Amino acid sequence: MAIDVRGLNFGYQRHDVLRNVTFYAPAGKFIALLGKNGSGKSTLLRLIAGMLPFRNGSIKILGQDITSLHRSQRARLIGYLPQFHTPFFPFTVEEVVLTGRAAYVFSVPQRHDIEIAERAMKEIGIEGMRNRPYTELSGGERHLVMIARVLAQEPKILLMDEPLSHLDLHNQMRVLNLIRKLTKSGLTVMAVLHDPNIAFAYADEFLFLKNGSIRTIDAGVNPWDQSVLADVYDTPIETIPYKGRALVMPV
Amino acid sequence: MRTRVKELLLYLLPLPLLLGSLFIGPSEVVGPQDVLSWILRSMHIPTMSMNDEALVNAVIINVRLPRIILVFLTGAALTMSGNSMQALFRNPLVSPDILGLSSGAAFGAALALAIPALPLQTTAFVFGLAAVAMSYFLAISRKVVSTVSLILAGVIVSGIFTSGLTIVQFLTDPFKLQTIVHWTMGNMHNASWKKVISAAPPIVLGGIWLFLMRWRMNVLALGDEETRAVGLNPEREKLLILIPATLVATASVAVVGVIGMVGLAVPHMVRMMVGTDNRKALPASCVFGGSFLLVVDDFSRAIASFEIPIGIFTTLIGSPFFIYLLKKKRLRFGEE
Repeated sequence: MAIDVRGLNFGYQRHDVLRNVTFYAPAGKFIALLGKNGSGKSTLLRLIAGMLPFRNGSIKILGQDITSLHRSQRARLIGYLPQFHTPFFPFTVEEVVLTGRAAYVFSVPQRHDIEIAERAMKEIGIEGMRNRPYTELSGGERHLVMIARVLAQEPKILLMDEPLSHLDLHNQMRVLNLIRKLTKSGLTVMAVLHDPNIAFAYADEFLFLKNGSIRTIDAGVNPWDQSVLADVYDTPIETIPYKGRALVMPV
Repeated sequence: MRTRVKELLLYLLPLPLLLGSLFIGPSEVVGPQDVLSWILRSMHIPTMSMNDEALVNAVIINVRLPRIILVFLTGAALTMSGNSMQALFRNPLVSPDILGLSSGAAFGAALALAIPALPLQTTAFVFGLAAVAMSYFLAISRKVVSTVSLILAGVIVSGIFTSGLTIVQFLTDPFKLQTIVHWTMGNMHNASWKKVISAAPPIVLGGIWLFLMRWRMNVLALGDEETRAVGLNPEREKLLILIPATLVATASVAVVGVIGMVGLAVPHMVRMMVGTDNRKALPASCVFGGSFLLVVDDFSRAIASFEIPIGIFTTLIGSPFFIYLLKKKRLRFGEE
């Protein structure tokens, strides 16, 4: 199992965010994490990424307990793409992407690291803006830069919090196709997605969160079933059968 | 290629400046010709005779040379420290003073000047470090040091030590008061080899330390979460940068007094020249910061028959230059 989470509880002060979350994710799959705002999706992702300390439950990545990993070992295993990013200094795109190599670098990145950053930029198609100041990019372009940065990190598991936000249709497709390509090569990708249609079109597995708990799906029921989605999003939904799955329409 | 040439020129800049600065000084006996002869002679090139060889030797070796070296070290230290702290705090308005370093050192110096039993430089050094440590520990809450609380703590600690300084000034006699006021304006005129020897080791050591950390500053400048995501502990890295940055700045302030503007403005000048990447900006801060202060000091020695305190001069020269650069090549910071 690439990701193995058991009995995970988490809360900020007196406010419970996650309750008894247990799930497994196989390697080489694209797992979509879906749910309403505030249902605990980002918190779950941050916990798996090792960004937050937790007391109850266990998180194993490729068989290793994440609390037993040194932070640089963890960073070589897990790549995490945070939701928002506000920079202050006008670093160039290349310099930002290169910081993804921190877990591999002693003092200053070497030629090898620079080549990997270069490849990551090409992979996402931003090599043309390498010398532009990051602060002058649009929200979507910055997002692509941060995706290149996490690719330069060369993780085995990629956790992405809303990887499609701020992106136009062209770049959304580019990122989704990249995710597909990465999972084919063995990487496990778990991403918070807001559009169930995109999730059903691209992802392999689906994980629903409702009020901090996993919304389980009964055997024989599809994740794109009307009843499941209406319950998860607390809103009436209609589905139209499409290519073996479904298109989702709010009513 | 043009940037390569520019960078090469930047790194070669200190050589002519260091040499040229030897010629400047108030002595009427030691003229430019004597300095030239002295330089040629030290390179074993025979020249005409000097005015008074012993005197020329004494002025150059014991007065001008230690001063030039001390000025260069100070400029390099303050600029490297400012550059590092701006990266660390992700804030372009931060200078080494922000954590109470200068106020602490000034209070320590005033105390030592008022109480003759205390050694001046050591006391200033200890209080400068103590002020930063106080700010740091005040800002810690639940093992996390947020940038905002650190800056706030620094403002408070600065205030405390400035009040302390005022109390010492108020209680001390007018003669000592004058010395204290002079100290707070920065003083280079009594530079000596002794001062160079006491300031150089912490500055060189801290400088090497910062040099090794220069790329980590890039990582840290992107944000705490972004730093943690790539496998570094932001709190640890901050401390690993804060310690040497404080060390170099305090070491120079303790010896030459408070010198404003350099730690704030010169890092910006450096970034405008070589870019934001600290892999380049940090070594350039060392070279250009030293050169900058050297030029300022040359002016403060040459412009009038009496010496203008360098701390005043850095502000007078630094501010217009900074405004010029700001207007010409707008600083680009994130809008949010």
